Amino acid sequence: MADAAIHGDHHDERGFFTRWFMSTNHKDIGIIYLFTSGFVGLLSVIFTVYMRLELMEPGVQYMCAEGLRFAADSAAECTPNGHFWNSAVTAHGILMMFFVVIPALFGGFGNYFMPLQIGAPDMAFPRMNNLSFWLYVAGTSLAVASVFSPGGDDQLGTGVGWVLYPPLSTNEPGYALDLAIFAVHLSGASSILGAINMITTFLNMRAPGMTMHKVPLFAWSIFVTAWLILLALPVLAGAITMLLTDRNFGTTFFVPSGGGDPVLYQHILWFFGHPEVYIIVIPAFGIVSHVVATFARKPVFGYLPMVYAMVAIGVLGFVVWAHHMYTVGMSVTQQSYFMLATMVIAVPTGIKIFSWIATMWGGSISFETPMLFALGFIFLFTVGGVTGIVLSQAPVDRVYHDTYYVIAHFHYVMSLGAVFGIFAGIYFYIGKMSGRQYPEWAGKLHFWAMFIGANITFFPQHFLGRQGMPRRYIDYPEAFEYWNTISSYGAFLSFASFIFFIGIVFYTLLAGKKVTQNNYWNEHADTLEWTLPCPPPEHTFEQLPKQSDWDKGHAH
Amino acid sequence: MPYEWIKDSPPQTREVHLWPYRSLPRRGMAWFIAVTAALLALPALVLVGSPVLWGLLPFLLGTVWAIWAGLQRSYKDGAIIEVLHIARDAMHLTRHSPNGRKQEWTANPHWVNVALHPAGGPVPNYLTLRGNGREVELGAFLTSAERQTLDHELRRALRDAQEISQ
Repeated sequence: MADAAIHGDHHDERGFFTRWFMSTNHKDIGIIYLFTSGFVGLLSVIFTVYMRLELMEPGVQYMCAEGLRFAADSAAECTPNGHFWNSAVTAHGILMMFFVVIPALFGGFGNYFMPLQIGAPDMAFPRMNNLSFWLYVAGTSLAVASVFSPGGDDQLGTGVGWVLYPPLSTNEPGYALDLAIFAVHLSGASSILGAINMITTFLNMRAPGMTMHKVPLFAWSIFVTAWLILLALPVLAGAITMLLTDRNFGTTFFVPSGGGDPVLYQHILWFFGHPEVYIIVIPAFGIVSHVVATFARKPVFGYLPMVYAMVAIGVLGFVVWAHHMYTVGMSVTQQSYFMLATMVIAVPTGIKIFSWIATMWGGSISFETPMLFALGFIFLFTVGGVTGIVLSQAPVDRVYHDTYYVIAHFHYVMSLGAVFGIFAGIYFYIGKMSGRQYPEWAGKLHFWAMFIGANITFFPQHFLGRQGMPRRYIDYPEAFEYWNTISSYGAFLSFASFIFFIGIVFYTLLAGKKVTQNNYWNEHADTLEWTLPCPPPEHTFEQLPKQSDWDKGHAH
Repeated sequence: MPYEWIKDSPPQTREVHLWPYRSLPRRGMAWFIAVTAALLALPALVLVGSPVLWGLLPFLLGTVWAIWAGLQRSYKDGAIIEVLHIARDAMHLTRHSPNGRKQEWTANPHWVNVALHPAGGPVPNYLTLRGNGREVELGAFLTSAERQTLDHELRRALRDAQEISQ
């Protein structure tokens, strides 16, 4: 029998290693996810800064076959090292797609705040949560190891691009690509286990009275993301496993000489790949909704349309994949279908954008850093969405396919959109997570440097794409120099702002002003995490929360 | 409501069942898995006739199994049920834990002391029964408002049991 226990308080006596490395606590795991993905993000950004340095001027000055340089030297001879360029592109893509944004938004914020918002004491499977994290770390290590392993061209690293298209990927010698495939496998396993955990928690552990139509938008966004992961990642896992057997065991799933079909690989990859971009960005939708409502001091406009827009974006994301591959030789009917289906996605996306604007409309807006990043997100994501509509046109895509226009488009939605969502979340919640507040001036400086820098980096790439500059090349004709140089300046400014951000985080954690209130913004930040102290105690909501704590009677 | 007084218990006895709240009805679980499986079938259908189907199928089926097992496990983890049976001269509490453990407590209702501890317990409005030399908890997994109502109902049920025994 459960004997009564009227007394009993236990103290936390775990050491640093036990607390952080063997953690089964959703808040601690969320925090280590954020730190790890921040570190991997820095690594991945360093690749791009080096690439932008190389692209600043025509000709090859830094990535020489004679050795990598960090200062241009016109006296020394320099043979272009195209393989290094390719592996830098591949490493940047793989790291960013699998190991930075998803772990930060889904693993970090999702783990920390989804259980809090639904009033659950922890995730449904806390030990599996720890396993997800370490699979992610192991995957990252393999991805980094792949850069330093023998690959194609008798050099280190794999240069096939993050999409791993055959026949390039089935023919590349060395084992760098195999390591990359294993890295993606582990990342996929980590995400699927994480998704099962999130879905189970969300479905079965909501506080009494919290029906599906009363769950806060961020928790909803994490649920939709988890569901997309569950539907998309197994397809990718299957595809790359077949790639692996093609490479190592002589099967011919995608090898034409044995009757395989390389284009089929593209179909399967993008069946995963298009939902993947929504997996990356949907949690940012959730964060931005809360930030906008808080700083406009109004409940979010159109709660239910916001929820179902996320669901609709998720479902539509599965039926548009071939718009990534208009040029592989599909029939006109097929292309028309994918074109129309793609354009339909603008409807739910529009519902979200207009609902955010309507939330702000007539509100009492103040421009703290999280709000600036949320507004930046809305603006940049809309710009990226508009170029997306342009690219969705099959005939127009013939011109833009594999040009810098595409680069500009997907960096606007993902690198700027999703990453601004991450920053909005960090500034919104850092006081809650650490108990210390960031200096407001520093946050604002970071925002403006990042916003201006990112736009200077990517906006000119639209022009380059229109001029016909193709992607994935180490060099270009002199005619493209003007906008490339400007784009590189923007990249340096963004990078400087990122380094400054790292400084802000450590300053805040070590010396930031102590937060004394539970809710340091205003009463419109009204989800359950704001009823807890900053930082929240190790165990939260072990007793079920009262409905009046979270049900404000509006917005649903 | 995660506790229920059993309506058709034998005359002159009362019985209440208590269990932790789970937000997903079984019907909801069936729906979720059906929709997930249907959407996962989409890439498989496209690949019918290609050997690539066989490379993909294990992963798709594995996923459906994994989410089913996850939800099932989550129900099992919450499968605590407490059954309190009150008769004229004996009351009996049985607690079934998810690991199959069964704990029991019996006492004479005449001597049982019901106590509601608004503070000081592991949860607010901690409800305990003392009798037969032992104090046991009841419904620690309910919400504090539910325990408060249950406290009233339990006291009335015990009073009724006293009247019957006279």
